[in-house]
Amino acid sequence: MYNSLIFSEFVFLQIHVFINTCIYKFIILLILASFTLACSNTPTPPYAAILYPDDNPSTEQGVELGSRLFSDPILSADSTISCQSCHLPELAFTDGKTLSVGINGRIGRRNSPSLTNIGYLFRTMFWDGRADNLEAQALHPVADPNEMGGDWPTIITRLRHHDYYGEALKDAFGLSSLREINPDHVGKALAQFQRSLISFNSKYDLVLRGEAVFTDSEARGFNIFMDEADFSEDPEIKALPVSECAHCHIPPHFTNQQFFNNGLDEAPNLTEFPDLGRGTVTGNLYHNGLFRTPGLRNVELTAPYMHDGRFETLEEVVDHYNKGGHYAENRSANVRPLGLSDRDKTDLVTFLRTLTDTVFVNQYTSAK
Amino acid sequence: MLLCAALTSAFIFTACDDDEDAAVPSGDVTVNFNALYDGANLTVQSDVYDYPDGSELKVQLFQYYVSDLELIPANGGDAVQLSDILLVRYNNAQEDNVDSYEFNEIPAGEYTGIRYGLGVSPDLNSMDPNEFDADFVLNDAEFWPGNARYVFAKIEATVDLENDGTFDTGVSYHMGSNDIYSTVTFNAPITVSENGNTTLDIMADVQKALAASDTDFHDFSDESQRIVHGGNQAVAADIWERLGAQFTLSVR
Repeated sequence: MYNSLIFSEFVFLQIHVFINTCIYKFIILLILASFTLACSNTPTPPYAAILYPDDNPSTEQGVELGSRLFSDPILSADSTISCQSCHLPELAFTDGKTLSVGINGRIGRRNSPSLTNIGYLFRTMFWDGRADNLEAQALHPVADPNEMGGDWPTIITRLRHHDYYGEALKDAFGLSSLREINPDHVGKALAQFQRSLISFNSKYDLVLRGEAVFTDSEARGFNIFMDEADFSEDPEIKALPVSECAHCHIPPHFTNQQFFNNGLDEAPNLTEFPDLGRGTVTGNLYHNGLFRTPGLRNVELTAPYMHDGRFETLEEVVDHYNKGGHYAENRSANVRPLGLSDRDKTDLVTFLRTLTDTVFVNQYTSAK
Repeated sequence: MLLCAALTSAFIFTACDDDEDAAVPSGDVTVNFNALYDGANLTVQSDVYDYPDGSELKVQLFQYYVSDLELIPANGGDAVQLSDILLVRYNNAQEDNVDSYEFNEIPAGEYTGIRYGLGVSPDLNSMDPNEFDADFVLNDAEFWPGNARYVFAKIEATVDLENDGTFDTGVSYHMGSNDIYSTVTFNAPITVSENGNTTLDIMADVQKALAASDTDFHDFSDESQRIVHGGNQAVAADIWERLGAQFTLSVR
C-alpha cells in the first residue's frame, strides 16, 4: 500500500514534470504541425518566409482593409488618385507609364515599380531606398505633391468619419476610439495587403516544380541568364555566352535588394547624373547614380523599364546590357560588353517572359 | 519500473535544464575583421590605390564568408564555436573598415588559438538559401543560382589601366566551391577572463590577395583575367590562395 501510494504520487509528479518539459512542448508542436499540414490544401510558396514585423502581423482583417485602401482614391487630396492608379494589377502592379502620374496630371520623378512579391523584400523600398520598410513606404505617396498631393491630418479626419474605414481601422488595430487612428495604421494596413501579393506560378516556377518544360529558346535563355556556361559540363551549354544578369537579379525574387549603377548614364564626374538616386538618400557621393535592383517577376508586364522608364521593351534593356553601359567610375564591375548575338538576346527575352504569372495577375485583376 | 521512471525523469531534467550552462565562468570575445590595402585601412569606393603594374584602382567591394569560427582550448578539449557562419562585407565608403562581432558567455580559460573556414563549409554549402530565414547571411543573394553554390568571397574593383584618370576597367572576382574551401588557423595565446572582454583583430589585406610582390601580381591588363564568376575559378586560383594565406591576427 505504501509502495503503491508512493508510486502513484511519483507517477503524478512525473506527469506534472513531463507537461512542463520541452519534450511535451515538442510533441504538441509536432501534433499541431501535422494537423496543420493535413488540413491545409494551400500551396506554399517555395521561398524563405516573409519577415512579418512584430508590430504589424498580417491578419485577414488587416489585409482586407489594406486592399480596400489600396484601390480607394480617398487617400489623395481630391479623391482622384489611389495607390492602384500607379500599381495596376493587370500590369503586375505597375502603370505602363514612363514616369508615374499623380494628382492633377503631375508627372512624378520615377517609374512605378512592380509590387510582385514585394513582401519578401525586407530591405529598403523605392528605387532609391528612402523608406526602410513597407509600412514606412506606404506613408510617402499621400503627401507627395506629385503623387496624391494631400496631407495626413486631412486624410486621417476623412478616414475617421468614413462609414467603413473608421471602424475597420479601429477593429484591425485594436484601437479604443476613432481618435486613435493615425497614419501609421494606414501604412500598416497597406503593408499587410502588399505582403499578400505573392507570385509563384509563372512558367519558370512550373518548370522548377517539374510541371512544365521550357521551350528550346526559353531553356537557352535561362542558361544564358543564369550563366550556366560557367558551371555546366554539357558542351552545348558550355558554349553559350554569359549575361551576368543573375549577379543582381537572383532567384527566387530576381533581385538582391542592393543598389548599383548599371551604366545608364555617362558621368565623368559623380555629381553629373541626371538623377542621383541612392546618393540623395545616403549623402554618399559614391552612391550617386545607384538604384535598387528591381525584381524581375512578371517583368514582361512592367514596361517601360529602369527607374526613369527609358527603355520601352525588354529587347532595349538587353541591348543596353549587351553594350556594357556608359562610363562612371562607380558603374558595377559586372556591367560590361557581353557579346550576345541576336539569337542570344532573343532567347534571353524569351526566358524573361517565363516569369509572367498569369494566375497571380488574374487573381488581383478580377478582384478589382 | 521505479528505476526506469527515475532515469527517465533524470533524462528529462538534464536534457532541458538550461540553467547549468550559466554556472560556467565566462567572458565576452569581440572579433574585429579589419580590411586593409597594402597595410593601410581600406576605404572602398573613394580611395585610390596603387597596383604593382603601375595602374591605380578603387576597390568597390570586398567580402568573404567565415565558417566555424572557433577558439582552440589549451586543455585539448573540444573547440569553442563562436559562430557557424558570418559574412564580412565592405561596400560603403561611409562605413569604416572594421566589421565587428561580439560573442558572449564564452567559457573563461586559456586558448591556444583561433581558426575558421574561409568560405562556406561544405555542409552549409549544400543547402538551398531558401532553407534559411530571409535575412540570414546565407540567404543574402550571394550564391550562384544555377546550383545554389555560395560565393565564398568577392573582390570587385574599377581600374585605371591607362592612367588617364578614368576607372573604366572593371575587375570582378567571385570565388567559391567546396574544392577551394580552406581553413585559416592562428596559433596565439588567447585568454578569456571571467566577465572580461577579449578582443581579437583579424586583418585581411586586399592588395596582398591580388599581388604577391611588385613583380608577381594578378594581371588586370589581360582581359581574360578580369572576370571570375563561376566555372572559371582557376583564373582566380592565385587570388584565392593568397587571400587565405595573408590573414593576420592580433590579440588585445
